[in-house]
Amino acid sequence: MPVRVLDSSPRSQISGVNQIPAIPPACTLLSVGQTFAGTQNVSSLQKDEAWRVNVRIQGCDLEHGYLCGTMEALNVPFADTPVVTFWEGEIVDIKNYTFFTGKWEATPEDDVKHWSKFQSFSPLLSQVEVDGGKSLDLSNYPFIFMRWKEQYFVNVGTDCGLTIAGFYYVCFSFSDGSINGFYYDPNSSPFQKLELKSTNEGRSGFSFSSYQLQ
Amino acid sequence: MSLFWFVVGQLASTETMSTSKKVITREEWEKKLNDVKIRKEDMNKLVMNFLVTEGYVEAAEKFRMESGTEPDIDLATITDRMAVKKAVQSGNVEDAIEKVNDLNPEILDTNPQLFFHLQQQRLIELIRNGKVEEALEFAQEELAPRGEENQSFLEELERTVALLAFEDVSNCPVGDLLDISQRLKTASEVNAAILTSQSHEKDPKLPSLLKMLIWAQNQLDEKAAYPRINDLSTAALEDPSI
Amino acid sequence: MPASAAGNRPEELCERLASVDSGVRLKALREIKNQIIGNRTKKLTYIKLGAVPRVAAIVGDDDSDAPLFVQSAAALGSFACGVDIGVKTVLKSGAFPHLIRILSNQDEKVVDASARSLRMIFQSKLAPKYDFLNRKDMDFILSLLNSVNENVTELAASIIAHSCQTGGEQKALSDEGVLQKLMNLLTGSINQRDASLDAFAAIFRNNSELISKFAGFDNGRKTLGPVVELLKDKYPRTRLLASVCLIVIGQASPCHLEELGVKTKLIPVLVELLEEPGQPGDDAPFTLANFVAGKEELQKLAFDANAVEKLCKFLRKTAVQPKRFEGLLLALSELCSKLEICRNQFHQLQVLHIVIDALKHDSTEVRSAACYCLRSITRSVKSLSAGDFTNETILVPLVQLLRDPSTSVQVAALGPLSNIAVDFTPRKAIFVQCGIVKEIIQLSKSMDSAPRLNAVWALRNLMFLSDKMGKESILIELTLSTLASLICDSEVSIQEQALGLVCNLLDGSIDSIEYAFAEDGKIIKAVARQVKNATNLEVCIQGMYVLSNIAAGNELHKEAVMDHIIPPVSSGGGTPIITSHLRSSDSRLRTASTWCIVNLTHPTSTDASDRIARLRNAGVIGQIKSMVNDPCLDVKFRVRTALEQCTTFGNAAS
Repeated sequence: MPVRVLDSSPRSQISGVNQIPAIPPACTLLSVGQTFAGTQNVSSLQKDEAWRVNVRIQGCDLEHGYLCGTMEALNVPFADTPVVTFWEGEIVDIKNYTFFTGKWEATPEDDVKHWSKFQSFSPLLSQVEVDGGKSLDLSNYPFIFMRWKEQYFVNVGTDCGLTIAGFYYVCFSFSDGSINGFYYDPNSSPFQKLELKSTNEGRSGFSFSSYQLQ
Repeated sequence: MSLFWFVVGQLASTETMSTSKKVITREEWEKKLNDVKIRKEDMNKLVMNFLVTEGYVEAAEKFRMESGTEPDIDLATITDRMAVKKAVQSGNVEDAIEKVNDLNPEILDTNPQLFFHLQQQRLIELIRNGKVEEALEFAQEELAPRGEENQSFLEELERTVALLAFEDVSNCPVGDLLDISQRLKTASEVNAAILTSQSHEKDPKLPSLLKMLIWAQNQLDEKAAYPRINDLSTAALEDPSI
Repeated sequence: MPASAAGNRPEELCERLASVDSGVRLKALREIKNQIIGNRTKKLTYIKLGAVPRVAAIVGDDDSDAPLFVQSAAALGSFACGVDIGVKTVLKSGAFPHLIRILSNQDEKVVDASARSLRMIFQSKLAPKYDFLNRKDMDFILSLLNSVNENVTELAASIIAHSCQTGGEQKALSDEGVLQKLMNLLTGSINQRDASLDAFAAIFRNNSELISKFAGFDNGRKTLGPVVELLKDKYPRTRLLASVCLIVIGQASPCHLEELGVKTKLIPVLVELLEEPGQPGDDAPFTLANFVAGKEELQKLAFDANAVEKLCKFLRKTAVQPKRFEGLLLALSELCSKLEICRNQFHQLQVLHIVIDALKHDSTEVRSAACYCLRSITRSVKSLSAGDFTNETILVPLVQLLRDPSTSVQVAALGPLSNIAVDFTPRKAIFVQCGIVKEIIQLSKSMDSAPRLNAVWALRNLMFLSDKMGKESILIELTLSTLASLICDSEVSIQEQALGLVCNLLDGSIDSIEYAFAEDGKIIKAVARQVKNATNLEVCIQGMYVLSNIAAGNELHKEAVMDHIIPPVSSGGGTPIITSHLRSSDSRLRTASTWCIVNLTHPTSTDASDRIARLRNAGVIGQIKSMVNDPCLDVKFRVRTALEQCTTFGNAAS
């Protein structure tokens, strides 16, 4: 008999006001060494276009709501090689970071506009509009919201024809390890969509590696 | 443009301030000063502190008897301290070192810089007296090891030994070492170290009070015209210049 | 020289110490004393000539008069000042009990001299310890504390600071009212004050109960207030000792530091003390390092007080004394241990080359401290991702330290090497090319567990995301049998690192999994043994991830894992090891174990249905089903994945 897993409604998991925000649960799929592959839709009004993207998680520090890694863009127009960038992520854990960006030229309106593009955000919307989500407890929420900000180009110069001035609003799903994101940069085309899936590099299952800094 | 207006506004306000400087006449001032009460015992303590710190032991003894002010230190130790100071001032450094060690052996054992300066002074005296060979031997045996222990000592040592290289030391770049002020400098360093070892302030309080007075007057000058004390030795109030 | 001209050569003076004429003895004593005070070289000369026992004989001679006692005590004190061998020789000469005896001499000058001399001895770690649980010792210390002589009370405080170690002793001293007496000394002379601050620190160390009791109802505002006041004292040494005392209080009983509001005051005091010449300035960086160690909040405060900038400024000064240099490096290492802003500033101030040069310093302590500093600096994933440290300028001197005569330096050097080994770029290959791997592997075979641990740690990080060539070159040197024995090392922490290493080895290309089965399955057998028998949680978790990585391979790999986690039917069953791990109270072990099941039932494999049946028969699927509402999200969703995969094969149990 097929096993049915009860899907508890996300709404029921949003707890009451003024609880001490907890650190979001670690997810092994979001741990160091894990890779994701997919596309970034860079369509403009003139042209439909997407490039392939690979992401690798390189560092994770939940206590500080910190995540980092590299993003590799393939078949980038006008670029001879894949372009690799290093990004640092802020995990919206309420303790370290809220839904409001408060920098990088993003207003609370921009924030809400982008977060609202994720279906998983809709149960949180009303509370975020009130206080940026300060009173939310996301510790049991099956999605992790993040902002990824690229810091530098790893393998090319800044004259590579690409800009890293903006940042990504990102949502990670516990259930399948998928990542969705939207690039925000007032000077680039709006809502470029990032869609990534957890990869297992030709294996028949998931494999893990790790390091420990001294 | 807002910046321009801001600057103008600031200028205007300073101007009004300078023209509106308050003037206090001598009579007013003296009246105000009369209202300030100073306790005699405090004055006596300040005087005693000065005598003791500066080492006027006989005056301190007399002052104690006449004013009944108890010194905050054993007067006998002042005699010892002054003997050390005098020894250095008259170029008798070896004697000074022995006296310090009799007073408290910890002083030179735990204060390498002072010890070095005394040894350096000893070297200077040898050079002054033309005992070149002895000076060289002393520098080699006593001072060189200290230089190995501390880079800054080495530099000072090199400067001192340089004295030997000049025929006419009075006219050489390191000639200042032979100056009497060098002895005084060393003497006051020893004096301060002894006072500190006796848990006594190394500087008397009176000069600090006068420094405070000068500073306060300078501060007040910007805000008011008042009878100022310009000559500290007479402490005469001078009429405000308007 | 006049001294030698007058027959005052050390040999002659030494001779005269044994003269029958007490006048000659006194003169010689005084001369020697004056020669050795402040003069390290002279002290060593006289120690070599055997002067110390002769001086001790004079102080031990009942017939000696006051001047002889004063001069001999002073000389002994000077021998013991600042030279370890001096303290040793003085203690060996038997002078100690004599000095104690003349403490009760009638002549105040003799008492002063012997108290001072003893205090010099008690400045050294080598000084004898008093046992305050012993009535006689306690009475002795109390009699000293009650003395009217300043030098004697100061000595008492020094003895307490030196000797008080256990909680029992701390309590005994407190019960005798010693704390109050020390409190009174705080208003005494500078030396009494400093000694009493030292003693306070010794009595309060790690004793929150005593601190609370002493602090009383107002949380120490009244009783500890005077110590806080001394943070503003004129004398740097006093400020330092007051800081140390308050830090000790804060470390034992954080609430009191909070209550007194001194946390924020301490940082600027310590930062300012860095500027001081001499002892206080030498000790300040050590105290600062100790204070902020592991405390991010304090590190931030120190950063805001410009501590990083100041430390770097002093680092730039030429000819820093080794002791101070060590302290500066240690303070920087603590400050940069957690916060990227501190590391950024460190880089901006361009002192990295100074730290690298310090790796070659003559002093063992400085070399170690430089390693610690680099360890903190290399903790930045951002820099590691850019490959900032993977160059010969840093690596070559670090690797040289792997052959350092001091084991502690070897261990310290492996710290930054472990971090740099994480390097995410192809530059990682430099580790193999420059022969660094070889050196590290050498230490992974060390008899001493500390270098062994750090070497395995470095290899584990080096193996992280390593390419095929890299893995191969490491394994050729390391050999599978060494790796297998490290997995079963006597030290748990080494087992954990070795299993982490294997995880990384087997990750990546699917061929890598074959390493687990090479040489008759040495690795998988060792891993399975640990997964079955280990009691340490971390070892179990790492072990389960290794099995999980193997289970992500082909059918043969998966079957091998099955055989290790489920007992053969012939053995009569019993609870499979995987089931006990799935039931662990630790969510991380449940996660790792669930991943193993996810991989074993992965839909891309052809024999998944057979394995599901086997798992079901062994009760594992039942266990998994019971976990659908696991409190840990990670476990819950992996359990869902596993159950969905079972359903795909239409076999899921009812």
